[in-house]
Amino acid sequence: MSSASDVSFLSPRSATLLVAPLGALLILFFAYPLILTVWQSFYEGGFTLRAYAELATSTLFYKVLRTTFVISFTATLVSLLIGYPVALHLSRQSPRKRTFYLMLVMLPFWTSILVKSFALTVLLGHSGIVNQALGFISGGTIQFPMVFNRFGAIVGMINYLLPFMILSILGSLLAQDGNLARAAEVMGAGPFRIFRKVTLPLSMPGVIAGIIINFTLSIGMYITPALLGGRQDMMIANLIDFYTRQTLDWPMASAISVVLLLISGALVTILGRVRGGAGVMGVA
Amino acid sequence: MTRPLRTAAVFFVPVVAWACYLFLLLPSVIVFPISFGTGGEFEFPPRAFSLELYRQFFTDAAWWGAMTQSLMIALMTALATTVLGLPAAYALQRASLPGAGLINGFIMGPLLVPVIVLGLGLYLQFAPWNLLNRDVSLFLSHTMLAVPFMMISVGASLRHLDPTLENAALIMGASKPAIFFKVVLPQLKAGIAAGALFAFLISFDEVIVAYFVTGPETQTLPVKMYSAMRWELSPVIAAASTLVTVFSILLAIGIMMLQRKEKQQ
Repeated sequence: MSSASDVSFLSPRSATLLVAPLGALLILFFAYPLILTVWQSFYEGGFTLRAYAELATSTLFYKVLRTTFVISFTATLVSLLIGYPVALHLSRQSPRKRTFYLMLVMLPFWTSILVKSFALTVLLGHSGIVNQALGFISGGTIQFPMVFNRFGAIVGMINYLLPFMILSILGSLLAQDGNLARAAEVMGAGPFRIFRKVTLPLSMPGVIAGIIINFTLSIGMYITPALLGGRQDMMIANLIDFYTRQTLDWPMASAISVVLLLISGALVTILGRVRGGAGVMGVA
Repeated sequence: MTRPLRTAAVFFVPVVAWACYLFLLLPSVIVFPISFGTGGEFEFPPRAFSLELYRQFFTDAAWWGAMTQSLMIALMTALATTVLGLPAAYALQRASLPGAGLINGFIMGPLLVPVIVLGLGLYLQFAPWNLLNRDVSLFLSHTMLAVPFMMISVGASLRHLDPTLENAALIMGASKPAIFFKVVLPQLKAGIAAGALFAFLISFDEVIVAYFVTGPETQTLPVKMYSAMRWELSPVIAAASTLVTVFSILLAIGIMMLQRKEKQQ
């Protein structure tokens, strides 16, 4: 595909006309709402830092921020520990089998997060199969409260995050040149040594990208902590909703959104550096 | 992968992998048997088979009305995403616009911003204009969210497209619109269809923005389900979940098949 013929085909003027309607939609319903949010956080009849000053002294805000980071960190870490072996498993299949296993990963990825959260409340609930199994094994002595607490929120988030982690790591496993590991084997390296010295280091870009993607998605999560977490597990997104609808303090909701935007913006920038900017979400 | 690695992890890796597949699939699958229960308490396995929950779903206007609303909004979103996204994707691929990289980044923007922030922003935007609780606000918001998926999908097929075909048509005297509709469009069919299904699914499943900008008259099925899960815990949720899952899986299979067709071309 020569780029010279690409260039001559559409004049810049007609190209602009073709892009303009989409541009208008995005300016009106993407850029403008974001600008409005930033504006609203500073403007209450006049310029003010009231919302930010209140945030800086709000114990609720710090508590929610800490909860968000603890939950996001835990969920990301567990997704990595589970996701890596799964990616390894996928990378070793023949292309035909891999397509099948990937379906197992992708189908839940496409189903509604509401449905999955609801199903998890049933599965993990006090009469759910997990507790029934525990009760059966232990003769009815062991029962864990697994939903409407932090454990439930984290399990729900891991369930949502795993496909992102798996796909990200799988990408960098499949990109590896198999000859490297074979060379190490010929030279007498054992399987663990090959894994530690060849496979693992070469997969680090995928691991790091997976960690950043998962963490970025985690800190913005709304549905899962609301449905599977307890009162104590409110995360940043839930706090934004709380200030918007419960206390009707829009400047506060906006200021928290700006904080969230800055954190995820920083993470996405780092991700762009790791990935060289391409395919930021690693989904499609 | 190497043989020694395989022998080393004979048990560990497959066991973790299979446990993970099960963990990922189970929540999406379990709603099916629950939805055929009798509707007392959510239970798995259910004690008796019944269609009671589906009867309740389809006789309560609050439920099936929300579903038709969701289907309508998703359909409009898929159409608008195609009409707006397709010309833009084509133009960005075929012309060298100044700042094309920036424009591309801007178009992917909705993927990178936490949805809750967009939900609040749209709420702040619509509230003073009295546009909350309107179909048009919801479908335009969903179009914004779905556009990146259309661009990814159509962009992938555009890259496989040979520009010499268009140039040949041009030399033979075809007008540019004719070239677009007769030469380009037929080759992009699979990509456009996948993008439209994507857009439909994004809108059909979307909760957070819909939760912020809809009201009682414009409530979508996910919003209705979300409030039912939070406050009513009505057993009908199981039937609604099953219907949503069937839709999602059918759409996902459609998308995956179109993407495979795309790759084979």
